[in-house]
Amino acid sequence: MFLQTLITGLSIGGIYSLMAVGYSLVFSVLNFSNFAHGAVIMLGAYVGLALATKLNLGLGLVLAGSVAGAGIIAVLNERLAYSSLRRRKAPSLYLMISAMGCSVFLENMVYATIGSRFYAFPEFFGRQVISLWGSSVSLLDTGAFVFSLLAIWGLHLFVGRTRTGIAIRAGVSDMTMCSLMGVDLDRLIAVVFLLAGGFAGVAGVFLGIKYLVYPTMGWVTNKAYIAAVIGGLGSLPGALAGGLILGVVETFVSTYVSSVLRDVFSFTLLVAFLVMRPEGLFGRGGEEKV
Amino acid sequence: MRRVVLLLCALALLGAAGSAAGEEVVRIGHSVSLTGGASMWGQSEARALDMLADRINASGGILGKRVEFVRYDNRNDGVESVNVARRLVSDGVVAVIGPAQSGNAIASAPVFERAEIPMVVTTATNPYVTIDQRTDKVRPYAFRPCFIDPFQGTVAARFAITDLGAKKGAILYDVGSDYGQWLARYFEEAFVAKGGEVVAKEAFRTEELDYRAQLGKIKELGPDVIFIPTSQKEAAMAAKQARDLGIEAVLLGTDNWGSPDLIELGGSAIDGGYFVNLTDLADPDIQEFVAEYKAAFGEDPVLPNPVMAQDALLMIVDALDRSGGAGGEPLAEALATIKDLKVTSGVLTVDPADHNPLDKPAVIQQVDVANAAFKFVKKYVSVED
Repeated sequence: MFLQTLITGLSIGGIYSLMAVGYSLVFSVLNFSNFAHGAVIMLGAYVGLALATKLNLGLGLVLAGSVAGAGIIAVLNERLAYSSLRRRKAPSLYLMISAMGCSVFLENMVYATIGSRFYAFPEFFGRQVISLWGSSVSLLDTGAFVFSLLAIWGLHLFVGRTRTGIAIRAGVSDMTMCSLMGVDLDRLIAVVFLLAGGFAGVAGVFLGIKYLVYPTMGWVTNKAYIAAVIGGLGSLPGALAGGLILGVVETFVSTYVSSVLRDVFSFTLLVAFLVMRPEGLFGRGGEEKV
Repeated sequence: MRRVVLLLCALALLGAAGSAAGEEVVRIGHSVSLTGGASMWGQSEARALDMLADRINASGGILGKRVEFVRYDNRNDGVESVNVARRLVSDGVVAVIGPAQSGNAIASAPVFERAEIPMVVTTATNPYVTIDQRTDKVRPYAFRPCFIDPFQGTVAARFAITDLGAKKGAILYDVGSDYGQWLARYFEEAFVAKGGEVVAKEAFRTEELDYRAQLGKIKELGPDVIFIPTSQKEAAMAAKQARDLGIEAVLLGTDNWGSPDLIELGGSAIDGGYFVNLTDLADPDIQEFVAEYKAAFGEDPVLPNPVMAQDALLMIVDALDRSGGAGGEPLAEALATIKDLKVTSGVLTVDPADHNPLDKPAVIQQVDVANAAFKFVKKYVSVED
């Protein structure tokens, strides 16, 4: 039972991490919480669903298509809703409000065009279960977990090792200085949103496969947001650690305390972090964040 | 007091407007989920009602007046349902159809009661829709054409014990829904009363997606059957997650499972599960309705709401006819004394003591994924014997 709980917790936490990365990326550069991220995840899931059911593509191509689709949606979202605010140096509160508006708008767009019914992804590999010392975990969950870790590691390398990554880190520490040094800020921010959107696409497909696809599926991102805060908003290792910690804590609370008290614990954890360690586990105040 | 004054003003204005225009219409309110998680049924319900109203209007309307719906979306939300109820009251409707969900219906009932407007819910099966939980007295303005949850929970428990031979049962339910919470209780009581043992009763919160922590606990206790009184969305996810954890117990559900997309959403995991329902597409009594609906909209109705909504409208029409359109109180009295009325689902008699229909049957259906259908298994008319 302990092992089963741990495995389940990690597999839930993996998805939280994947979603938290999107929040952290945008926060690190623009210093606001992009609450439209959940809606982009939802749209990514619909893109993946269309590829899987209409074109009968395999999981690999579905993921690739959804990454591209959600990435483009995220960039468009930034261009249309945030860029003019950003150029006018509006306070980040305005950006956050705009993001909330986008989230409501996108959800209702889907209601109006696609409708409110639920969809499920086709069963890619049937229902295969791996047994480990009396505990069970589905093959898909294991794959999703490993893929999520690899993707986050890849992003970490990208930000640390490439020219664009260095530009992003420069932007994180000082946007104005960065643009004075000749970095094209619009392009830089587009790359950040493209990356965040790409992760939203992966998260959307995994969420859709694990659970279902429907217009308000993005609401689960409030958990990812807690994960990002616990790990330290703006920190990639923090997003990963925060997601896994939250997933495991929640599952243990559900199993050993009470499933009804689970969210009480999650939000208490959030409040505790905000009071005692607002910068989160890996946050480093105003210094290097990504 | 202020509310009463406002209400009177609104009514006076409406009355003036009505008589000035001299329009001969009967306005019936419809509180329905056109968006949100229950919209599939809501949309289908609205279509079925419009279809029936067109037929009634074509043959002369009610008391010589045209039937007209005042329809608002309650988004399957308690607060929104109360807002809708207030709007319907200020719109001056004579009676209301809906809401379809127990929680929303219970929230709306006091609003209609104060305004003395009868409410006929469609598929809200909780006993406290028509009975006030605080006073234990019947709500004078609340009615329904569907069976109630103690009956449904008992049918499920009886089926589990006698037909499935279950001895150990587990329950997974939504603690945020009146529907799930009460059904969990009725099932547990009936299951224990018939000699079974409920080994686990695990809850989750509305909008939660992952039940593996709860299911992991259930797995340890090895039940023969897991009762899941939720809608098709949660049932599908619970089934997938249960099978992923290697749980092989039979899954047993309630009337909210009865949506055609249960099969698509649950896939192989939900195959072989059983559930209690109000009606069955194969029910001989509703074939005419199903054919008419299919001809008009090119798809099967999303049962059971469209059928129950038509029943509700027919109840209101009959009561209006008998009370002569003399106002809310005579209308409610007429609704309470409906006897042997021919409705879409069959024949209906209202019990004046609790405003529930007498002898409303329940069917057990089995999910058959290979044929993408719900197989008719059994019909219960009562839970005695």
